[in-house]
Amino acid sequence: MSTTEDIEAALEAVLFVAGEPAPQERLLSLFEPDDRETALLALARLRERYSPSPGGGLVIEEVAGGLRIVTVPEYHPYLKKYFESAGGNKLSMAAIETLAIVAYRQPVTAPEISELRAKQSQAVLKNLLERRLLRISGRREVVGRPFLYSTTRDFLMHFGLRDLADLPPLEEFEETFGGEAPGIVAPAARPGEHESQLMPESA
Amino acid sequence: MTAPASTPALPRLLPESWRVNLPAFEGPLDLLLHLAKINEVEITDIPVAKICDQFHEYLILMEELDLDVAGEYIYEAALLIQLKSKMLLPRQRDAAGVVIEEDPRAELVLRLLEYRRIKEAAQSLAEVDRLRVGVWSRGKGRWDDSEQEERELEELSLFDLLSAMRGVLDRYDREHPDPLLLPAESFPVRGQVDRLLQVLDAGSPFDLLEDLRSRSCRAEAISAFLAVLELARLRLVRIHQTSTGDIVLYRTTRDLATEDLESLEA
Repeated sequence: MSTTEDIEAALEAVLFVAGEPAPQERLLSLFEPDDRETALLALARLRERYSPSPGGGLVIEEVAGGLRIVTVPEYHPYLKKYFESAGGNKLSMAAIETLAIVAYRQPVTAPEISELRAKQSQAVLKNLLERRLLRISGRREVVGRPFLYSTTRDFLMHFGLRDLADLPPLEEFEETFGGEAPGIVAPAARPGEHESQLMPESA
Repeated sequence: MTAPASTPALPRLLPESWRVNLPAFEGPLDLLLHLAKINEVEITDIPVAKICDQFHEYLILMEELDLDVAGEYIYEAALLIQLKSKMLLPRQRDAAGVVIEEDPRAELVLRLLEYRRIKEAAQSLAEVDRLRVGVWSRGKGRWDDSEQEERELEELSLFDLLSAMRGVLDRYDREHPDPLLLPAESFPVRGQVDRLLQVLDAGSPFDLLEDLRSRSCRAEAISAFLAVLELARLRLVRIHQTSTGDIVLYRTTRDLATEDLESLEA
């Protein structure tokens, strides 16, 4: 039997190195079956410890079906400075529009996307494929056999979503034009449930 | 479009507020939504004639400002004119005088509503995107995912291929550090072409780097690499990179033609 402290420390070590979202089951399978309850408790404690708090630069977030340690957005400027990089670029509005269509309508073809936006989408699609936010998931069996586009795991990670069901239902956007849009809960600041929105405006 | 491009009546037709908003329109549907908003009409009950006219005024203005009027605007304008004329036709009624024909605007309304929802969803994603830019994670340590996603095939540039080749050569130099005296052996590219085609024609796509590494020596690896470039040039193979960095060759449906062989000999 391992102690909760041991397991908590082990989980912390694994998550620190993993980088990629680690599925909870995979984490729990690292320990003896008898320790499962303890491991669950340890994981809960670890997540509590890595919830947004003053003096903490890291949080554990749940994205793309797993857990990973990421930085709190407040410290973006320092990371940028240290790595002498601009960090990720924000996406263009055309790119986000296209992503939204694919996210909600996938799998979907380029002509269908262009039709919805009433404008050409090829260049934007190519860019999103290169950024690995979209992937070609097959072909529609109609004349011309156009490619079908779907979102990727990177898409979930980029937007801090656990899975596609995490997207707010499209119907919610029905009558909100010009008013307050139902936001996706700011993900890094999510200790577990859709409740907090702690992101600073300056991020 | 009926009005000549340089009509002096323009200022009267176009309120100041329009000009301010010009660059904000990302497409014809954005313009239509904007027109519905400034006219304070519901999307579900658009006064087609009025909106159609204003849409055209906007196109004229775009030309006035020397903006390229993109094809999709012209297309949308044509759809609006068609719709406008349809609205003039009396609709079918049943015996009791109730309109039974579908509102000709229905399709436009559906498109606008759908687009508006997508716009809203996109706004929400944009907000998250803005926040998430500041979130950093560790570099890409990737454990081998057993339920691997389908291979993501990506474009591969010549430079990617060359740097992969350099990796292979560097590895050779590391693994074979001794300056061995080799018997003079030659590895014609043609021979490698035949070998690669034989493997590929046998069926499955295969891993380029693995193949290059298992060549008997540096010279043969180089020859094989040149053969791959030749095959790509002749469109006999396609080369892709998987998300894990493997470079995979696929045989295309094209057959090896005699003139291809000649160009190889040359």
